[in-house]
Amino acid sequence: MRNRVVMLNIVIFLGFGIVFFRLVDIMIFKHELYSARVRMQTTAKEEIQVRRGIIFDRNGNRLAGNMEYNSIYCNKKMLNRDSNYIRVVSKIIDLKYVKLASMLEHKSNYILIKRNVPDQVLERLRNLNTTAFEAHPDAKRYYAGGDFASHIIGFVDIDNNGREGLEAVYNKFLMNTGGTINVNRDARGNRFYDESRQERIGNDLVLTIDQTLQYIVETEMDKTMDKWKAKAATVIMIEPHTGEILALANRPSFNPNFAGDYNPESRNNRSITNIYEPGSTFKIVTATGVLEENLLRKNELFDVSAGYIMVGGKKIKDDHKHDKLTFPEIIEKSSNVGTIMLAERLGKQRVYNYIKKFGFGQKTGIDLSGESKGLLTALEHWSGVSIGSMPIGQEVGVTPLQMAVAYSIIANGGYKIIPHIVKTVISPEGKSYEINRNTLGEQIVSTNTVNTLTDALIMVTSVDGTAKDAAVQGNEVAGKTGTAEIFDKQLGKYSANDYVSSFVGFVPAKNPAFVLIVVIWKPRGTHYGGVVAAPAFREIAEKSLTYLNIPRENVERKNITMVSKVD
Amino acid sequence: MIQTNKKRLYEQFDWFILLLLLLLCGIGILTIYSATRPAIESVHPNFYIKQAVWVGCGLIALIFVVFIDYSFLRTIAYPSYIIGLAILLFVLVAGQGKMGARRWLNLGFISFQPTEFFRLIFIVALAKYLSSFKGLMTMRNFAFAVFAFAIPPFILIMKQPDLGSGLILIILFVMIVLARGIEKKFLIQMVITCIIVVPIFGSIVFGHLKEYQRNRIIAFIDSEADPQGIGYQIEQSRITIGSGMVTGKGYLKGTQGPLRFLPEKHTDFIFSVFAEEWGFLGVTVVFMLYFLLFMRGIDTSLKAKDDFGKMIAIGLTFMLFIYFTINTGMVLGIMPVVGVPLPFISYGGTTLIANFMTIGLLINIRMRRLGLLY
Repeated sequence: MRNRVVMLNIVIFLGFGIVFFRLVDIMIFKHELYSARVRMQTTAKEEIQVRRGIIFDRNGNRLAGNMEYNSIYCNKKMLNRDSNYIRVVSKIIDLKYVKLASMLEHKSNYILIKRNVPDQVLERLRNLNTTAFEAHPDAKRYYAGGDFASHIIGFVDIDNNGREGLEAVYNKFLMNTGGTINVNRDARGNRFYDESRQERIGNDLVLTIDQTLQYIVETEMDKTMDKWKAKAATVIMIEPHTGEILALANRPSFNPNFAGDYNPESRNNRSITNIYEPGSTFKIVTATGVLEENLLRKNELFDVSAGYIMVGGKKIKDDHKHDKLTFPEIIEKSSNVGTIMLAERLGKQRVYNYIKKFGFGQKTGIDLSGESKGLLTALEHWSGVSIGSMPIGQEVGVTPLQMAVAYSIIANGGYKIIPHIVKTVISPEGKSYEINRNTLGEQIVSTNTVNTLTDALIMVTSVDGTAKDAAVQGNEVAGKTGTAEIFDKQLGKYSANDYVSSFVGFVPAKNPAFVLIVVIWKPRGTHYGGVVAAPAFREIAEKSLTYLNIPRENVERKNITMVSKVD
Repeated sequence: MIQTNKKRLYEQFDWFILLLLLLLCGIGILTIYSATRPAIESVHPNFYIKQAVWVGCGLIALIFVVFIDYSFLRTIAYPSYIIGLAILLFVLVAGQGKMGARRWLNLGFISFQPTEFFRLIFIVALAKYLSSFKGLMTMRNFAFAVFAFAIPPFILIMKQPDLGSGLILIILFVMIVLARGIEKKFLIQMVITCIIVVPIFGSIVFGHLKEYQRNRIIAFIDSEADPQGIGYQIEQSRITIGSGMVTGKGYLKGTQGPLRFLPEKHTDFIFSVFAEEWGFLGVTVVFMLYFLLFMRGIDTSLKAKDDFGKMIAIGLTFMLFIYFTINTGMVLGIMPVVGVPLPFISYGGTTLIANFMTIGLLINIRMRRLGLLY
């Protein structure tokens, strides 16, 4: 018996040994493999719902918010498979029976059936006493202003992700840490959440945009579009000392709530993407260069009486014949011949340098996506005509924003700025962060030059100037008109009746509240910037100055002077 | 005199094995609590409370068994065995099915698996027969034992069908018989016969198995073959145990049970849940408890005053051991899934009470080893 008991003991030891050996193998040597398997199968990646941050204008007015709505989900484990019952449900939620039935065939146990379901439907569903169909609140982006400021704000896709505009550029901020998280799931596909997951809140954005100024810009713009049956338009209002964009609008426009219904042309933010030949507004580059390099004698007169000038074998004409012009008068009358004379004195290299100095041919760095850097032919590729074309704003392509920034440099005393739209980011906890540079950069144009140039630009809006319609009652306006032909790519030459008319300027000229650019594409009837764009500038500027409480100078005396000048 | 003897008798009560039993039951209740914990806040199934109640019932059954001198069992061994077989037959006719197998007998107020109790009767009856002759077993003894004690219950249990219990019964039979001792010449003959017969017999049995039983064996051989089917269970069990690593995830921190990846988490696969939460160290402690328990059982068999007691003790100890080995082997993927609970820890009333009676019987035999009278 003893021997046999020893044998039985051996059997027991053997049994334990085998099991224990296996246990060591699984729990000690292969545990990493198995732990990874557990992690993999018990977690599921899930898009978490994020309540996007709100977008406010600079005064706290809501430009983009969220709308609450209910989505219906089906919990298949609770589902009564009776086809009559499903038919009833399909009727209530207004979904074709066949479609609902096929949705319920989906492998997952928890299925999104329908988004954006009104309360009455939920009520009727609840009356069915069903546990299978549940409603969950979702937050969907909603733009109460419709197409108001739509090119700035942009829009989101069906998953609430920013697609264009600030919604896209600041998506990470607006969504905060959103995106995907890992959630526990069980073998049957059910997912388990702790309370914290339910929702996250994104950062709010406070813009530099002023809702009222934006409104003024948009309404005046529509009037101008209407009046001239224009194809497109852009208006930008920028605070020249800080680079803050106060208003920015384009036509055609779109309603971001239904962004998909619009063609890309309408959604295009042409203020930063559309390149046009600026025409005379570009003349400040050459003017600045000549002043900076001290190439003018005191009271020097330029003889432009020929009415044309030959450059590289091409005849460049003035619109109106003039006799002899001083430097300021070249600007005031917008003489092409005079400007080219200045440019020739400055020379190719320096003209090119000053073009670059003003930021043309480079992105302005605004916090919007898709910005174009414009078209600037490198110096070595210049033709013989270039020295004549470029100074008068041909053969170069600029964006409206680049032009606004260039005039801001004159307006602010000669300093670089970075245009931007977001002023502060406010975290869900309420802390605010400034994320864009809001101050003047290095000085790139001297104060003397700026003063001389400003005086010349003020002349433009005087009675004798090219843009007397831009003059604002009570405040001096410094600015410049621009009219350029549109190069027709199909014809391979400049179109005979398509023009870009623009006016860019700042007011009050000596202490500007804003720089404003108005660009109108393909106006009908007439095309002179002074006729098409300047009045729009005036309308916007006057209303804005009133809104901003900018003190008016003596209106009556000004009028008297103007009358005396008329003679 | 009788009083003194009685007093001395109870001084021999085996507190050690009772302590091991209660420790394992305690671990069982805690693990059942954890395993059945729902993943989200909702009603916690009350299996752990039921199990505690069963432990109470088991203790009463144990005390009851301890007080009846096991010698008395000698007189009722055969009649009980015949009644036991009759009940197994009755189960086939009137039993209630669970997952295609008729194993449960409903007595109106309670339903139980008669097979669990039959094993005790079987061991006692076989022990009586094996202790009824002196010397080593002859071929005649063996043939009688096979036809009287192995084949009838095996057929009845396989008919339920309960593959696991049937195989356990055969293994148990062979072990008890080997422990009893067989003539060397005959033993050799038998081994040779087995080598020839078992494959033939096995293939016949396999051919008669139900679909799901066959799948289990196939899945055991190649668990990757159907990851969502039977092999899935084994795979999940292995993953669960492996993810416990050395120190475990901590009590109530396991995920495989609540997230329902692990099937039968509070019954057959409870060991996996325990391993996940307590790790290799916890498992080692539990293995120690089982090891001590089996050693105590063998020791009891050695010290029993007569062959009848020795055979019963060996039988009972090996029954527990087989359960333990098959269950842990199953959850570790080295044995087929045959639906065998882990003694004392798995949830289940019938098995628990039968196991308490088993320990009660071991205590009974050990207590009376000195041949005292009362």
